[in-house]
Amino acid sequence: MALLRWDVTKTKRALRESVGGPSTFEDLALPLLPALYNVASWLSRNATDAEDLVQETFLKALRGFDSFEPGSNFKAWIFRILRNTYLTSRSGLQAQRTVSLDEQLEEQRDFGPAIYPEAAIDRSTPEISLILSADRAALHDAMEKLPAPLLEVILMCDVEEMKYKDIASVLDLPIGTVMSRIARARAALRNSLEAAMAFNRESRA
Amino acid sequence: MTTHLSATVLNALIDGELPLEQFAATKEHLDQCPSCTSSALSQALLKTATAKAGQRYTLPPQLQERLRRVASSPDLDQAPVARNNVAQTWSIRRIAPLALPIAAILLVLASASLLIERYAKNSERASVERAALVTEISDLHIATLASDQPPEVISSDRHTVKPWFQGKLPFSFNLPENLPADTRLDGANLTYLHNHAVAQLLYSIGRHRVSVFIQERSAPATQNPPQAEHSGFHVTGFGTGDLEVTAISDVDPSRLSGLVRAIEEAQTKH
Repeated sequence: MALLRWDVTKTKRALRESVGGPSTFEDLALPLLPALYNVASWLSRNATDAEDLVQETFLKALRGFDSFEPGSNFKAWIFRILRNTYLTSRSGLQAQRTVSLDEQLEEQRDFGPAIYPEAAIDRSTPEISLILSADRAALHDAMEKLPAPLLEVILMCDVEEMKYKDIASVLDLPIGTVMSRIARARAALRNSLEAAMAFNRESRA
Repeated sequence: MTTHLSATVLNALIDGELPLEQFAATKEHLDQCPSCTSSALSQALLKTATAKAGQRYTLPPQLQERLRRVASSPDLDQAPVARNNVAQTWSIRRIAPLALPIAAILLVLASASLLIERYAKNSERASVERAALVTEISDLHIATLASDQPPEVISSDRHTVKPWFQGKLPFSFNLPENLPADTRLDGANLTYLHNHAVAQLLYSIGRHRVSVFIQERSAPATQNPPQAEHSGFHVTGFGTGDLEVTAISDVDPSRLSGLVRAIEEAQTKH
């Protein structure tokens, strides 16, 4: 009786091909390069570091592609590699030294039931004014002020339009923590915008 | 209606993540609460603005092209598909006397072209791999410097450090008995490069700390050991038949080279 060789790699490839969608690493990874570079640039805040980060992520993903489970979310998988690579990079370590997210979270663990006071029905909120004035620079500034753990969650949620469960997978966090970080990040953005608008008003006065 | 919607619920609503069973109750609340409706509108606008502002950085075309080539190069080993030349038989007959020399020249040209193309792609891939290796080594070294944790094995005795790796690494190496002046062995860690277990030897030269990574050579030597500057660190190394050794530090390059030479000599002496 001839023994059949059990080749996990080939089996996974066959499964990928049987699914019918894009199956090669190139098909899956190359379209994500712009998104990876954008997020890498935001996180590392430096073009050279961002290139290094994307390149290292890409090579790690290429080498480890056989460990990618067909049918699972490739985008979440490669972003997780990007994020883990970032954490051990020079800029990632700097960010971790600069901000202790856990401390911040502990400080603000209790999220109130409402983000705006009752009766604060303001038709001219910072966000509405921002959209009307198309002041993208103010939002760039506000995003740059976010600590890395809040910035990464907002990039994945708003810019990359990832689902909470995928963000949780990328960041290796419970979904509840992802949700609270998103809320915290948006509150911080709003505060920065309000401060910027107040400053502009005072400057004009 | 005394309790407003929480930030988490409002965010889940605008992110399309609100569970179905919560959605109806939330909608009912919004129908009656102008304050929460205004908040939801604000949050939605902020999300839209953030999504637009977040698309800020454009992928450099040269990086995209470089990585595209890297991704496609694993297929280089596949033989090119032979083309069907039957339709050209008549012309070959006509020039039968010249066919052999022409064919030989064409074959040489085609082979040379293929070799050049393959060499260029391999060389580019090797260059990218080398750059990635330097980055990863730099990251590991910086992480070691930043860490409060002591080395996994703390010893200045090479007879303690080397045996510590037994059973942890699928290869062995030698450590120099005599080190350059003002250089000492501090210990070592077991770490990973490209998902392979490697030895990270920790030395000090004066007050400068050095990491020396020793890994098994996974393929025949196709590239020179990295000689680079990265993030203010000097990177140098050497290769033997079985091992690749890479050292990184911010110490003067000549002093780093002295340590690397001592380690290289130790591989051949024992």
